[in-house]
Order: sequence, then C-alpha cells, then structure tokens
Amino acid sequence: MSLAIETNQLTKTYKTRAGQVSVVKNLDLQVERGEIFGFLGPNGAGKTTTIKILLGIIYGTSGWAKVLGEEAGDINVHKKISYLPEKPYYYEHMTGMEIMQFYASLFGIKDKAQCERLLQRVNLGMDMNRPISQYSKGMQQRVGLAQSLLNDPELLFLDEPTGGLDPIAHIEIRDLILKFREEGRTVFISSHELSDVERICDRVAIINKGELVHQGRLEDLLAGGRIEITASGVTQALADKFRSDDVLVSFKGDRLIVDMPDSDSPNEMLDSIRSEKGSVVSVIPRRKRLEDLFLESVRSDNQAKGRVLNKMSDDHNDPKPSAEEETEVGS
Amino acid sequence: MNAILSIAKTTIGEAIRRKVLLIILLIGVLFLVIAPGLNVLSARSSFAVLISFTLGVIQLTGAVIAIVLTVYLIPNEIERRTIYTILCKPVHRWQFVLGKYFGAVGALGLMMLLMTGILLLVFKIMQPTATFDVLGEIARGPVFFFIQMSILAAVAMCFSVFASPIVNFFLSGGVFMVGTLFSPVFQDLANNQNLAGPVKMAATAIHTILPNFAQYNIQNPIINQGVTIQSEQLYYVGLLGYAVMYIAGLLIGAILIFDRREV
Amino acid sequence: MKLKSPVALGILALAVLGQGGINRALFPLWEKNFSPRKGDLRGLSGDQLLVALAGFREMIAGILWVRADTYFDQGNYDAILPIIRLVTMLDPRQIDVYATGMWHIGYNFTDEQSRSDRRYIPSALALGSEGARNNDYTYELFFETGWLWYHKIDDNYGKAVEWWKEAQEREDMQTARKNILTMALLRDGKLEEGLALYNTLLTDAEKKMADATNQDFQIRQNRDTLESNMDNLLVRMAQRGYFARKGGYEKEWKYDTDPPYDVGFSAQVVVEDRKILRVEGTWNVQPVGTRIRIVLRDAMDVNDPGFVAAGMDWDSKSTVDLDPEKDVTFMQDGLFVKNQAFYRRIDMSRDPTMYPFTKEKYFVEFYYNPRSAPPHIQDRFGFSGEGMGDKNYLNTEIREGQRVVYARLELTRDQILRQGEWASKTPVIRTVNFVPTGTSSQQEVFEVPGLRGAAAAPGQPGQ
Repeated sequence: MSLAIETNQLTKTYKTRAGQVSVVKNLDLQVERGEIFGFLGPNGAGKTTTIKILLGIIYGTSGWAKVLGEEAGDINVHKKISYLPEKPYYYEHMTGMEIMQFYASLFGIKDKAQCERLLQRVNLGMDMNRPISQYSKGMQQRVGLAQSLLNDPELLFLDEPTGGLDPIAHIEIRDLILKFREEGRTVFISSHELSDVERICDRVAIINKGELVHQGRLEDLLAGGRIEITASGVTQALADKFRSDDVLVSFKGDRLIVDMPDSDSPNEMLDSIRSEKGSVVSVIPRRKRLEDLFLESVRSDNQAKGRVLNKMSDDHNDPKPSAEEETEVGS
Repeated sequence: MNAILSIAKTTIGEAIRRKVLLIILLIGVLFLVIAPGLNVLSARSSFAVLISFTLGVIQLTGAVIAIVLTVYLIPNEIERRTIYTILCKPVHRWQFVLGKYFGAVGALGLMMLLMTGILLLVFKIMQPTATFDVLGEIARGPVFFFIQMSILAAVAMCFSVFASPIVNFFLSGGVFMVGTLFSPVFQDLANNQNLAGPVKMAATAIHTILPNFAQYNIQNPIINQGVTIQSEQLYYVGLLGYAVMYIAGLLIGAILIFDRREV
Repeated sequence: MKLKSPVALGILALAVLGQGGINRALFPLWEKNFSPRKGDLRGLSGDQLLVALAGFREMIAGILWVRADTYFDQGNYDAILPIIRLVTMLDPRQIDVYATGMWHIGYNFTDEQSRSDRRYIPSALALGSEGARNNDYTYELFFETGWLWYHKIDDNYGKAVEWWKEAQEREDMQTARKNILTMALLRDGKLEEGLALYNTLLTDAEKKMADATNQDFQIRQNRDTLESNMDNLLVRMAQRGYFARKGGYEKEWKYDTDPPYDVGFSAQVVVEDRKILRVEGTWNVQPVGTRIRIVLRDAMDVNDPGFVAAGMDWDSKSTVDLDPEKDVTFMQDGLFVKNQAFYRRIDMSRDPTMYPFTKEKYFVEFYYNPRSAPPHIQDRFGFSGEGMGDKNYLNTEIREGQRVVYARLELTRDQILRQGEWASKTPVIRTVNFVPTGTSSQQEVFEVPGLRGAAAAPGQPGQ
C-alpha cells in the first residue's frame, strides 16, 4: 500500500520584486497510513504552503507530491481527504446544520441524518440550528471538524486545529483527533502547538524556512534526556570544573544549578560536591521535550545566520503575506 | 451540477444579507417610491418622465449592486479561507466559478425583482386604471436590465479572478459606462466614411469586443406608447443570444485564468 | 484539475465570434428602434454629449425643459436654444419641445424693431423635419412644420401643402384642423384640388353626423363650416374668373379680376443715417390689408440657382444648426400700405450681430405676392395675380405661375454704413417712376370703400 503522503524534492518558488523566494525547498515528506503526523515549524516556515500544494490549491514549482498514491490535486483524491483550514470563517448566516448540508452537497451527499450524527459527534447536537454567527470559536472549529468528516476521509489535513481555543475546547479537539486514529484515519496536523503535537502525534516533521530539519518517530527524536543537579555551598572554582560544551552551569543565589545530559553519569559530580563539603539539594532527571528539539532545530539555523532567537511568532519573512498569513498562538 | 447549485444557493443567501447591498437597494427603492413626487413636469411628458426615471433608478441600482456584489465574491472566499474548504472537496474550479456567478445573478435577480414589484405597485397606485398588459409592458424594461446586469456581473467576475476588488470596481464600472454610453459613438466612428482606415478598424474592433450594454435599453416603446418596432420579438431573442454568448465567453475566460491561479 | 484547454478555448472563440456577430446584427436594430438619439451629435459640447448619452434621458429632458420655461419667462432666448437641442436629443419624443423650439427659433430672435432673424428659419425647418421624422406616428410636427411654411415664410405654399398632406395621413389629426390643407392648396393655386378636398371633408363630416348617436354640437359646427367655406370658394372662383377662363369664356364673361389693375408701384430708399433706411413709395390700392415685403440682403449672382428673389433657400439645411451664418445680412420687413402709399423707417443700427454688413454690395428688394393677400384684395387681384398689373414691376418669372410685383435696387456697404464718400452725402435710391410727393406728410385719410367699387375706381387698365 502506498504512503498517505509522499513528496519528493518539492519546491515552491515565488517571484517577488526582490527576486525569487523559495517558500518550500526540496521537501521530502513521507507520511504513513493510519498515523497522526505532526508538521511543525515557526510562522512562515512553509507549512500552509505545503498543505495547499498537497491539496492542489496551489501548484509546486518543481518536484512532486503524491496524496494517497495519486498526484496532489486530483479530484478523485479529494473524495477521500478533507481539510480544516486554520481559522476558517464559515458563511455566518447559515446554521451549523446548513453548513453541514452545504458541504455534504459538494460531495453529492444528501443524507441529512449523517450531518446530524456528525454534529452530535462534535458535541453540537444542541446548537446545530443556531446560526454560525452565534457560535464560539471552539464551536466553529468543531463544525469545521464535523464537515471534514462528511466524506469519511482516509486522510485529514488539520491546519492549527487548536489555535486560539480555550483550554476545554482544546482538550475536546485533541480527543477527537485521537479518536480519528482509532478509526484508522491518517491525520496530518500542521501546528506550532507543541504540547498537543507531543501528546498525540506518532511522527513529526519540523521545517524551518521551507527546509526539512527533522523527520521521524517522536520517541526517536526525543531520545536522550537531561539531569538537573541543584547544590549549595559549592565554590566557584569547583563549578567551573564541571562546565563543558554540553553541561550548563549557573548560580541562583548561592545555589549551583548544573544541567547535563543523562548519558553522562552524575555520580562523579555528586561525589566532588560532597567531598568539597557542599550539599546536594536535588537531582532531577528530565526527559527531552519536543520544545527542546524544536528550539534546537530553529536555533541552529538562526544562529548560523546571526539572528536573535525567541521571536518565533514575530518572525515574518513570508514572501506572500495574504496567502501565507499565520496566526499567533499563545503557547 | 449539484455543487454549482449548492454554491450558488449559498452565495445568494449570503448576498441578500450583505448590508452594503441592502443599503444600495434601499436607496433605489426609496427613489422609486418618491418618483411620483417629481411631478413637476408637463402633463404630456409626466408619464414618460415617471417611467424613464424609475427605469433609470432600477438600472443604476442594478448596476451598482451587480458590481459591488460580484467584485467581492471570490476575494471574500479567499480571505475567509472558505474557498479552501470548498476546493479541497471534489469540486472543480469551474464549478466554483459558475456557482459563484449564478449565485450573484440569482441575488441580483431577487433584488431587481423586488424593485420591479415596487415600480409596478407605485405605477398602479398612480394610474389605477392601468391594465395587466400595461404593467407587463413596463416590466419588460427591468427584465432586459436584468440581462444587462448579468453581463455586467460576468465582466466583474472575469476581472475578479485577477484584480483586487477596488481595482475591479473601477474596471467594471468603466466597462459599463463605456459600453452603455459610447457604444453608439463607436458605431458612428466605425461607419464614418471620412475617417482613416486604422481608426475605423479600431472603432469597429472596440465596438465588436466591448460588451454592448446600450442595446438593452428598450425603454423607447415602453415610454412612448404607440411606437411600432419592427421584428421586436426577434430583437429580444437576439439580445438574449448575445448575452448568453458574451457571458459564456467571459466565464470561460475567468475559469481559464482561475484554473491557473494560486489562491 | 485544470480545465481541458483546447475545448475551453474552442468554446471561448465561438462565444467571442458569436457575440460579435450578434452585436453587429443587433445594434443597427437598436439604433433604429430603441435609441433615443435620433439627431446629430455634432452640435453638442462634451458635457452635453455625455448627458445625451447617459441614462435617465427622458427625465433629464423633462427637467431641462422646465428650466427652459423660466428662460422663456425671462426672455433669455439665447439660453434656450442649446436646451432645446439637448432635450430633443435626450428625448426625441418630446413633441412639444420640437414644436415650441421650432416656433422659438423661427419667431423669437428679433431685432429692436421686432423684425425676426430669418437666418434661423432653415434651422427651424430642419428641427421640424427632424421632429417629424422621429415622431412620424402623429400629425403634430408635420402640421407645425407646414405652419412655418404657411405662416412664417408665407411665400412658398407648395411646401405647406406637402407637409400638411403628410399630416393629413396621420389618423390622429383633428377634424377641425384638416381644413387648413385646403387653405394652403388655394394659396398654392390648386383650386380644384382644394375644392375636391372640401368635398371629401364635407362628405366625411356628414357621415360622421349621421353616425353620431347624440347631436354633438362640434360635429354639426364642423360640417356647417365646411359647407360655408365651400360655398365661399365656389363664389370666389366664379367672381375671380376661374370658371370663365377654364371654360374659355374670358372675353364674353364679366368677372372681377378683369382687366388687371395697375398697382402703380414706386419706391425710394434713403439712407438717413448709418444703417437707418427711410423707405417710402406708392401703391394705388385703397383698401387696407396690403403689406409689401422689403428685403435687404447681401447681393449675389441672380443667376445662381440658390438665389431666391425676395427670400432665401429656406429648405437648405438638413441638420439643426444653433448658429446661423454670422456674416450673412438678411433683413425682411413688411411695408404697410395706407392711403395708397407706404412709409417706414428701418433702423438696423442697434443689432450689429443680426445685420453684420460684411459684404460690399446689397440688394434692396420689394416684393408683393397676391397669394398672400387677404381675400378682399384677392377678389380683385385673383388667386395668383391674374387681376393685378404694374406698368414697371410686374414679374411673371420669379414665381412660377404667378404674377407678382418685384423691384430690386442696389446699395453699397459704404452707402449703408455712411462711410467713405458717403460720410457726408445722403444716399438715395429709387425706382424709375418714383415721384417725390412727401408721402409721409400726407394727410391721413382712411376710407373703407366697398369691395368692388373702390378697387375698380382708381384703377387703370394695366399692361
């Protein structure tokens, strides 16, 4: 069986006044069937552009992209996939039910009961006859999810599905996505909501500035954690001895904090502290988080170019603002 | 077909709720209602003036609505990202364009129907003796204005696949003005024996390519009772045929561009 | 998925060609039947053009016309001309505007002594015929244009006959107005045709009276008028010798127009001052009702086909022209005969635009046409001047089939403007037979003699 999504050297270049700008560069993606795939990257990294190419809304400049074994954009593929855009605005004069019927008709589905069932599934059974204009953001997002299930899709593209939602709505959506996997669907999530991705995704790809930085199983990517040792009564000289490339040493008041990889044994260090009459306050092993991986990926690139970090969401280097606009997320 | 209908229906539902269109419509209706108050003119021409004015109001209001409605159809879909939810369904782009266009025409038709109804009502109140025949005669004016506006909507639709709404507003408005006002002038130039060959050819070309809105003004027999028109039915059929051809041309052009456009 | 290009392009090409073809076939139909623009656009300025082509035509036309009305009230006639033109372009169905406009152009531009500017008349006629063409479903503008020929030009009744025949063909012509064609026919010398028309109208009127369920006063009155008109005409035809001549009994029978009566025309023109003429002369006809036409105009080659003695080629314009030729001088006035003489002071000094005097030489023409005369004078002179003569100035050439009096004198520009050698001398021109009698100081005796006696009494056999 073919992959759910496969791209090969996919590149998208825009011509601007300043010259050519590549939004997606030589992207090679492989998404297995039945998995939840996280597609990560800062704003303007090329996530939405990639999804649009996969949907056939825009066309790649070079390379190729296949979805469910067919060329991206094929109308037959559209019958088996669905897409939830980031923050869509639905026709506000319509009720949830009418929206569902509208999208159903695009598939040629006339079954009203199915629309109702799906709305109930996303917990909108009570509100389906109210106009969308009265819906909260979370409710709108749930309508979006319901409509994306109309054709019983094999593959779902969700663009920032939890963006801008309150915590409860957040959890509801997350649970729904997990259920999709149970039903055997492939879910392709584009997000920078890292905690969500970490919790639900099987595999992730991280892109930055259009280029793939990491791709793989989450367990593999997050292999290797760190240990944090806190001690008091340690001299500066001793602390300096601990310092190395991969070991971060700092003082907080009179307390020493050492952050080291868990591959190194802390015993030697603990012994030295004790022998110098210092006292160990705590030893905390810490698993590597997606956030670390993400920051690493983005940092290395930005450092290489001498840029400041920690300004992810303000990092607008988007050559095509109207189509590529992405929203800030309070993560 | 289903998809086109659904998109058209949704477009109508949305259009008839757009405040800006409703305000334009309201102004038009207001003018229709106060039209009999413009009774400052001589007895012989008061009928002509009333009909001319009210038909003019319907035409002008129709044109503004047609343009304002159509220029925003596709850009709004893109801005609100609803277009992605539609285009990622098994919907061809041409279906989307057609659906949007027919929706616009449908909404326009509803609004013009309302105005025509009010016109007939006002007229019936002014002249209680008017028969259904007379009213039907008057209603023929707006019918052809509606066809005219359908062409205009197609023009705006065609521009909207590559131009921004504001640019499109002026483009379509300009085409409408030129097509309404200057078709006779281009025709004159094309037929003028004294002009140099290239000028005549250019005039002929412009006259042939420009949408000829002027000929949808069929007020003459409506305003001036008793005028005899030769082969009137044939002319009306011709008008319809012209509209179908022109709209088809514009929509195919729009689809060809839109098919290649990245949204 | 993209649309299959060749198919789409094929349909596109077909649609483009199709619409072009239909457009080319359709548009002439629209112009013919629906276009409100029936005039010539060249007379309009840019903004007027835009208005003329824009929507709301009939309404704008209506409003403009109301506006023109206030100008009429103020006497601001110059402002009305372009409005008339614009209104008729916006709404060529505005019969009233055509009619009023025609009358206005034809009559309302006058000099300080109320002589109208006849240079406008060709334009007025052009407006009338444009209006008639645009509204050929009704008699009205045919009637109005005919009226201009009949009443204002008052010379070429054949044209009035043409227009009124057209008017007569329209069903909506009021019965009472149908009489007028007979008047024009009679003045055009077509007596039997006039008689036949009276007959037809009378038959119609009687039939209408018989059909009428109630005794409508108007129907009866119309019938009676027709009958009395017809009686009158028959009496006049007999009295004026028509039947005698037709039957070849002109020698045996006695009738009123024989022998021709010598009117004894003489005239003198004195240029009293710059552009001021004093005209005096004799006309040996005692009854009132005679007006001798005087025309002062640019001299031209009298053999030119465009030359019309004591008039101009009124029908020369096919398009309405708001500005007549600014360099043409054409003054026409009527000399009223009283006590067998006429006297008039013609002051052209206060209207430099109407009388520009740009040419070197000028004709002063005197003209009398019995066809325009009132019936009591025609009783002696006949329908076409059979009973009129003049030893010196009878003319049978300038008007076909008519005997008219026509005299032409000449003045130079210097003489009229009293400049050059004429600055200190007073130019005087006169007919060969003019005898200075001091007509102006003559005692004003006003006698109204009997119809037959007075006309015959001072008369001498002419020719």
